[in-house]
Amino acid sequence: MTPPRTPAPAPKPAKGAAPAKGAAPTKGAAPAERAPRTTRSKTEPSTTHAPRRRESLHVFRADTPPAPENPLRAGTRLERIPGPCIVVVFGATGDLTQRRILPAIYNLRRAGLLPPESAVLGFSRRPLSDDAFRTMARAAVDEFSRMPLEKALWDDFAQGIYYQQGNFDDPPDFKALVERLEQIDAERGTRGNRLFYLATPPSAYTEIVDSLGKTGLDRQREGWVRIVIEKPFGHDLESARALNDSVMRVFDESQVYRIDHYLGKETVRNLMVFRFGNGIFEPLWNRRYVDHVQITVAEDLGIEGRGEFYEQAGASRDILQNHMMQLLSLVAMEPPIAFEADALRDEKVRVLRAIDPVWTDARARANVVRGQYIAGWSADHPVVAYRAEEEVSPTSTVETFVALKLEVQNWRWADVPFYLRTGKRLPKRASEIAIQFKQPPLMLFRDTTADPEPNLLALRIQPDEGILLRFAAKVPELGLEVRSVNMDFTYGSSFMKDAPEAYETLLLDAMLGDASLFTRADEVEAAWGVVSPLIDIWHEWDATDAAESADPTDPSAEEEVCFYDAGTWGPQAADRLIEHDGRRWRRL
Amino acid sequence: MSIPIAPIAIDTTTTRWHARASSISETVTQLSRIWSSAADEAEKTAMDPGARAAAQGDPRLAGRLDHHGDTRIRTRTSVLTLVVVAQRPETAERAVATVAALASRHPSRSIIVSPGDPDGPTTFDAHIYAACHLSTASGAEVCTEEILVKTGGELSQHLATVVAPLLIHDLPVVLWWPDDPPFGSRVFDELAEECDGMLVDSGTFRGDGARGLAGMADTVTAGHSVHDIGWMRLNLWRELLAGLFDHPLLTTELPGCRSLRVDVARPGSVLRISKAACFAGWLATALDWTVEEPLRASPDNDSLIAAFRHGRRLVPFEIRPVGNGMGASLQSAGSVMRVEFELSRGRASTRARVTRQADHLLATADWNNAQVARRAGRLEPFEETPFLAEALDRTAHDPVFERALKRAVELTAV
Repeated sequence: MTPPRTPAPAPKPAKGAAPAKGAAPTKGAAPAERAPRTTRSKTEPSTTHAPRRRESLHVFRADTPPAPENPLRAGTRLERIPGPCIVVVFGATGDLTQRRILPAIYNLRRAGLLPPESAVLGFSRRPLSDDAFRTMARAAVDEFSRMPLEKALWDDFAQGIYYQQGNFDDPPDFKALVERLEQIDAERGTRGNRLFYLATPPSAYTEIVDSLGKTGLDRQREGWVRIVIEKPFGHDLESARALNDSVMRVFDESQVYRIDHYLGKETVRNLMVFRFGNGIFEPLWNRRYVDHVQITVAEDLGIEGRGEFYEQAGASRDILQNHMMQLLSLVAMEPPIAFEADALRDEKVRVLRAIDPVWTDARARANVVRGQYIAGWSADHPVVAYRAEEEVSPTSTVETFVALKLEVQNWRWADVPFYLRTGKRLPKRASEIAIQFKQPPLMLFRDTTADPEPNLLALRIQPDEGILLRFAAKVPELGLEVRSVNMDFTYGSSFMKDAPEAYETLLLDAMLGDASLFTRADEVEAAWGVVSPLIDIWHEWDATDAAESADPTDPSAEEEVCFYDAGTWGPQAADRLIEHDGRRWRRL
Repeated sequence: MSIPIAPIAIDTTTTRWHARASSISETVTQLSRIWSSAADEAEKTAMDPGARAAAQGDPRLAGRLDHHGDTRIRTRTSVLTLVVVAQRPETAERAVATVAALASRHPSRSIIVSPGDPDGPTTFDAHIYAACHLSTASGAEVCTEEILVKTGGELSQHLATVVAPLLIHDLPVVLWWPDDPPFGSRVFDELAEECDGMLVDSGTFRGDGARGLAGMADTVTAGHSVHDIGWMRLNLWRELLAGLFDHPLLTTELPGCRSLRVDVARPGSVLRISKAACFAGWLATALDWTVEEPLRASPDNDSLIAAFRHGRRLVPFEIRPVGNGMGASLQSAGSVMRVEFELSRGRASTRARVTRQADHLLATADWNNAQVARRAGRLEPFEETPFLAEALDRTAHDPVFERALKRAVELTAV
């Protein structure tokens, strides 16, 4: 339920009485002084299994007495509602804030999942008044929210939106931020709970974190303090480590929420329910029954005007290192000991560590295909080549497609290849994980015209989230014809409900202190540990090619990148990669 | 009696079938025939090159075509069977409308049974409706079935035997009894045995509702999972009152409870106490109060009074009937209109109130006469759809409700 009314002006407090909500604390008797410290800092998920880095630098865990529990919460939705907090968004005027973060916070409030005291404080370089930022926020919510803007609710919500102008590395600006936060705490009753959201370009992360540390904003005195960091977490292993180091010099790992919105998608969580909530699939989930696994993240779009970004990233950094490695670790991980943040992430890290991080020249050539699209047709319209896109170098070797074969070298998966492919300008937008099972040991139906295909279990992530099981069935005729049929389950036709946006799920989880769907430092580094050496090898090849051929238009300079027509399923080399093993990509 | 099966209405997104049967076995046969006919139709689409070409060009069908361009066989993804017992014709109509509103959210088989005159001749008459709806947004197809059964004579006393053969194998069964259910009767108990969860509305219990509460508590004790619309209507009241005590200043005050008063609407002569008793029962179990004196008329006969015990304190409780100026769509007899909860500890006194204003609730808390917390929320409209949806989402036991109900029954001392 949402409170659609604007709160009435609070009455003047009586002498010696507690001040009303909305008034500054009065000396002598005030909720601020009496407010017990929350237990959250004590009950943050333990990081026992996570690497405890630079522990000695963290001094924020004050020995706070536990706050009394409210016994009336049990069984109500309040159990799923976090305590009031201030969401401080750095990069408040940016695209991410406008498109995703503000609409997500508004929708949470609309769904009654945020207490009315909650506040949003935008922090950016651009000079703006509170009212101007509110107008900007309203326009953003109006345009991008999945639920329509309700005027009465907005008016109430907007009272909790503030703006603070400042530079990310300017100590006086951060001192002003401290004062502003304390003022909002007193005004709205947010009890020192803070969620810092870094919605800036990654280059600003370190200076913001440093400034937060210098002004003591990382310390959990009365309430909890958490920081949300957007991907990308570094652009290679080294930079990821450097970023983790600088963040963890200031914050404890338990306060850090690295957000990859892919993990907030409903089906990714469904994947865990499917694997560990059903008894019949897990016994088959190993090298004895599984022939191979295919993971596809296909996009029909191009780079959509983000040439500068994509030239730096490529498909490996944009999709492979994060989304695909996440899917791979979720599908291959061992059952966690509990459905709890660190237990889950421990298992995911183990999968990533079981992938050989050493990429020799021969391994990279045999097991990886790097592709780039050239002009072609995307659905019903012609599209230009990647090199002809804006802000893209005409000799760019950046991959818009990558297909690779990996092996998870552990007891469960030894010798089971995992084929991964992702690309832009493919025929359609489709993400799925396909588990291909082995053929039956003996084919009894030899007289049939065609052998049935082996069983397959496909977990579709988008579109049409669902699960497909392929098995053989007899064609109903006199003879013995066997044909493969699909048993197709669509979540949409069993549960016709609007799933929340990934950002809503993740923001709420961060406020509740549940880090299950966020990436831990060692997880980020382990994923980079696999992808980074591969990118290094490509750079070496490119450098060698450039040295060998002074003429950039010389075709030999491009031989390391395989081109494919836009609107096709990637270069032929990708087909050869899998056909070499006697298998083929699933037709999507 | 058998009527040839044919789709009765085909538009671009929904296909419907209808059949009629005069026995249970014929109902089962007709259901099979409907789905064979649906599959045939899908197969024809698959075989006809023209239809295939048209389907391939139709974005709505894109998700349903396999890689040969064939339409996949129409699958029914049922998630549960809903059994509704509608004792009155108007209840049956209401139930049909409510179930239809939920069809796409909970694709299910709904069996709506209207038991007729038990003294008349034994009769069975069923209308079977099936529909497949293609969602324009996702391209996913949702199929639902609705079986409207009218029974007469002795069969009306054996509804479980009517329903059992029509349940979908191994899926959860939810029983919805919209009118005053005959708790403890043979017909009710037999049906309850067939079901995994049930939905009733304590707001419709006869008289003051106390006897109904006791019957419902017995059903819970027998191990059935019961959802009560009356209790669900209290959710927002509980949530707002609980939210006030999230304030750090007030959480510590909770042990100092002094009195509780619940005002309920009394549009006629009957004072229905089920909701007020459940609310008090909830607060009592959450705060460890036991019933010291059950409800009785106050000396001036204006209200009902009782007392809880919390440690050495006695907490007086009063249910006060009030007239109301609300529209009939927003309240009924026994609707909670206001909750007033007073606490004191040392020199601090707290007063928490939740008040209904039209379709909104406003909760405020004063600490030494200064307002320190305020919450507001909007009540669900008076229709049953959202509550049925919630009951279908969760068939598990609700321990908070079950404890509150037990205390409420102690309070009414039936």
